[in-house]
Amino acid sequence: MSDSTTDALSAVAVDRLSLGEPQWLREQRAHAWDVYERTPMPTTRLEQWRYTDLAKTLDLSALTLSESQPAQDDPTTWPERLRVAMDEDHAASGHIVFIDGRVVHSDLDPSLVAKGVILMSLHEALDQHSHLLREHLTTTVPAEDGKFEALNAALWADGIFLYVPKGTQLDLPVRVTRWLSESGTAYFSRVLIVAESHSRISYVDEVLSDDFSSQTFTSTAVEVVARDGSQVQYVAVQRLGTNAFYQSVQRTLAHRDSKLDTLNVGLGASVSRVDLNAKLIGPGANSDMLGLYFGDASQHFDFNTSQDHLEPNTGSDLLYKGALDGDSRAVFRGIIRVHPGAQKTDAYQTCRTLLLSPGARVDSLPNLEIEADDVKCSHGATVGQLDAEAKFYLMSRGLDRVQAERLVVLGFLGEVMSRLPLGGVVDKVTRAIEEKLAQHG
Amino acid sequence: MPVNETVGDLNLDEYKYDFITTSEPVFRAQKGLSEEVVRQISAHKDEPEWMLDFRLKALKVYESKPMPKWGGDLDGLEAVLDEIYFYVRPQDQMERSWDDVPDEIKNTFEKLGIPEAERKVLAGVGAQYESEMVYHSLREEWQKQGVIFDSIEDGLKNHPELFREHFGTIIPTGDNKFSAMNSAVWSGGSFVYVPKGVSLDTPLQAYFRVNQERMGQFERTLIIIDEGAQAHYIEGCTAPVYSTESFHSGVIEIIVKDNARFRYTTIQNWSNNMYNLVTQRAIVGAGGHMEWLDGNLGSKLTMKYPSCYLMGEGAHGEILSIAYSGDGQHQDTGGKVVHVAPYTTSSIVSKSISKGTGRSTYRGLCKVHEGAHHARSNVECDALLINDTSRTDTYPYIEIEESDASVGHEASVSKIGEEQLFYLTSRGIRADEAMAMIVRGFIEPIAKQLPLEYAVELNRLIEMEMEGSVG
Amino acid sequence: MGQWVKVAAEGDCPVGKLKGVMAEGTPVVLANVDGTVCALMDRCSHEDYPLSDGELDGGDVVCIYHGARFDACSGARKSLPAIRPVRSFPVEIRDGDIYVDVG
Repeated sequence: MSDSTTDALSAVAVDRLSLGEPQWLREQRAHAWDVYERTPMPTTRLEQWRYTDLAKTLDLSALTLSESQPAQDDPTTWPERLRVAMDEDHAASGHIVFIDGRVVHSDLDPSLVAKGVILMSLHEALDQHSHLLREHLTTTVPAEDGKFEALNAALWADGIFLYVPKGTQLDLPVRVTRWLSESGTAYFSRVLIVAESHSRISYVDEVLSDDFSSQTFTSTAVEVVARDGSQVQYVAVQRLGTNAFYQSVQRTLAHRDSKLDTLNVGLGASVSRVDLNAKLIGPGANSDMLGLYFGDASQHFDFNTSQDHLEPNTGSDLLYKGALDGDSRAVFRGIIRVHPGAQKTDAYQTCRTLLLSPGARVDSLPNLEIEADDVKCSHGATVGQLDAEAKFYLMSRGLDRVQAERLVVLGFLGEVMSRLPLGGVVDKVTRAIEEKLAQHG
Repeated sequence: MPVNETVGDLNLDEYKYDFITTSEPVFRAQKGLSEEVVRQISAHKDEPEWMLDFRLKALKVYESKPMPKWGGDLDGLEAVLDEIYFYVRPQDQMERSWDDVPDEIKNTFEKLGIPEAERKVLAGVGAQYESEMVYHSLREEWQKQGVIFDSIEDGLKNHPELFREHFGTIIPTGDNKFSAMNSAVWSGGSFVYVPKGVSLDTPLQAYFRVNQERMGQFERTLIIIDEGAQAHYIEGCTAPVYSTESFHSGVIEIIVKDNARFRYTTIQNWSNNMYNLVTQRAIVGAGGHMEWLDGNLGSKLTMKYPSCYLMGEGAHGEILSIAYSGDGQHQDTGGKVVHVAPYTTSSIVSKSISKGTGRSTYRGLCKVHEGAHHARSNVECDALLINDTSRTDTYPYIEIEESDASVGHEASVSKIGEEQLFYLTSRGIRADEAMAMIVRGFIEPIAKQLPLEYAVELNRLIEMEMEGSVG
Repeated sequence: MGQWVKVAAEGDCPVGKLKGVMAEGTPVVLANVDGTVCALMDRCSHEDYPLSDGELDGGDVVCIYHGARFDACSGARKSLPAIRPVRSFPVEIRDGDIYVDVG
């Protein structure tokens, strides 16, 4: 990495991003860059990167940071596909639109603004709610957690801050739609969600793009804090084009009696790596962790999940299901850790993969580390083909092979969405899977 | 205990002379591992040149490999290795008296109902053993059928071609640090060959053979089951192996040829200071059938993952394992099944029990290579936790390169249900008896596969371990 | 085919030794078996480690990481834990230089 190009991923770029920022944040970025430089790039010799070879799949030195001016807050100038994606499910408590790494639009129901709900870009929040950012930013996903965590903390260009005050309940989700267009660019953004006690919020974050002519990298660090008794749903839908490398680190902290659920939908990108860590840090906390993916061509999905039970009477239930077509490949590595003293924990983990073509392959590593005895824990992993019986049954009812396969695959994946049935998301994801299935011979 | 006497700078010929003519004082190689020690072992065994070369190369490989960073805690091992004798002449191991055996071990033998004569053998102090006569008559029968059941040393001497063709091909020296160590200093173990089509009804029991020559710390076993043959090999026993040694590292290589069937049963109960690091692997030809039945009790740390490489069409591999970890113990065990050919099938069933501060880890691999179409594999791991200080982990690797394969893995963790305990105790059964009953029920699917005498011993052992487990 | 790449001088790979080189982005391990230079893909078929870290034992390349053994010239598998052979490449010596065809 050369310091002569200001746009490269470099200390110079960190300085440039820091301009005009408060001292604590400048220090935070500088520290993160320092950690990044000291941390070696993960190799397949590391257990957590065993099946994703960054030396072959990612060339950070070839990337630059986005140079373009932020787009205008004018929907008529936005790309067609972005507008379509938004229109598919417009009903929301508020919206954020991200174009090429910068927030270009945000709105929030005025009645919620009046109640003290905050939904805005991190830059705006730095001006208006600096104390809240200082309290939370990078505390849940700190730079020390790894190479990408450090790189993101040093180089984030924009992000989202969502804050829901005590007892405030949002009936409709907050919807975020992101569009990326510049080939050869690295995008860094953060999401910070703080749900105060007994509040309720659903958040849906969708990212999409066309195909890129050269590798494009997008990195997101997501921090979600659910205080006592709150209910939070976090949904990420990834529909990027080829040559995209999607990298997302998500960590959720569930306090006493909170319910903090996540859903990751992976449909696009050439390489997708999601690191999701759910921490159950208060008695009675509970997290459902759902995942769904559909791979084709030479797509590579890598989900690395962990469920940390630190207090008694906590629950977590993970279900990841995927179908793989073409020469696509998926990796699921998940671990349940029941820490000493976390008695009466119920923790489950299931990953199921359907292989649709001879070139597809999957690696599953569902792990358990249990250090308390009064627990109910289990995991299951299966790999198999389309249920031939179901297919023949459907064909005997007059459906052709393609239609029958489509129904069986949708039925298989549909189980995941039925566990977190958010308006708009189910239809959107189902349509996207159907589009991919239509290409399946 | 024998007096420690090192040979120092004696040249090999003199030393060989000493070995032959002197029975007192007792000989031991020097402490620690060195080229000299390896040369002494090879000379003692009067080995051909190629085996000495093999050992010396292995020593280099051993020295070049770092300590594994995964599995159990091996931090204390370096110090242990500096202190141990890598070779003790077999007959010298017998020279302990029954009086030296700790009461704890003696009591265990008694409670397990092990006959007096066998107790001494197990404790490493006996020279005679009633079953020797049985063994001899069996051996005659086997010899008529062309079966070879020898010590590994005799295998090398008496069947050099067969030995050299297979030795080290299943588990190469460099497979891991401890296979390299074993390749350098191996001593003791079995050499078995069952000819084509021969079916043995009576299990081959290492028991009988080790009576004559105690199994070493670095046992090496090579077993070849030729086409269409059938056999069952049993090693170890549930009684604690009394040993002052604190390190055991075996290498077990098994070749199951086309349409052959073989089962390898091992139940080991090591003393609690023992590091037990074993590599065992079988390759299975077309239509062949391999079963590992593996019971691990005792030891400070056991790392052992029996594996089946299913190389021929329709080959089947099965691994049944039980682990019991008491206070301060870590059983890091599991199994590997590697599907290389079409229509291969496998199953792994693992049951573990952790008590006190014991920790049981299942670590396994199920790999389906491209081209192994119609492969089927099923893995089930169940862990039982007795106390709130007990720990269990499950680390299965599932790697599937073939779309036309079906693989399932399930694991569960539970504690003994209070309702279950209450039900039994309310019927007048003592709490620790009830606990033992529940544990027996838990391992029953595997215990029932054991030969009767082993199952009986295992059950008694569980009863003993559960005594006082309810506070 | 027919893309000959100069990868080393003959003297760089003495008898009984291995040498890792790159040929048009392909990692290659050269092995000098009694004066004949052979070339294999420099990746063990078992876990992708470089074979050039290991050693030549007679006519076999032995992977240092898990002991897998391959014929140094044909790439044929000689022992577990490897299951598959390793790809081999044609070699030519011209004017004291080693050329490999990784086409």
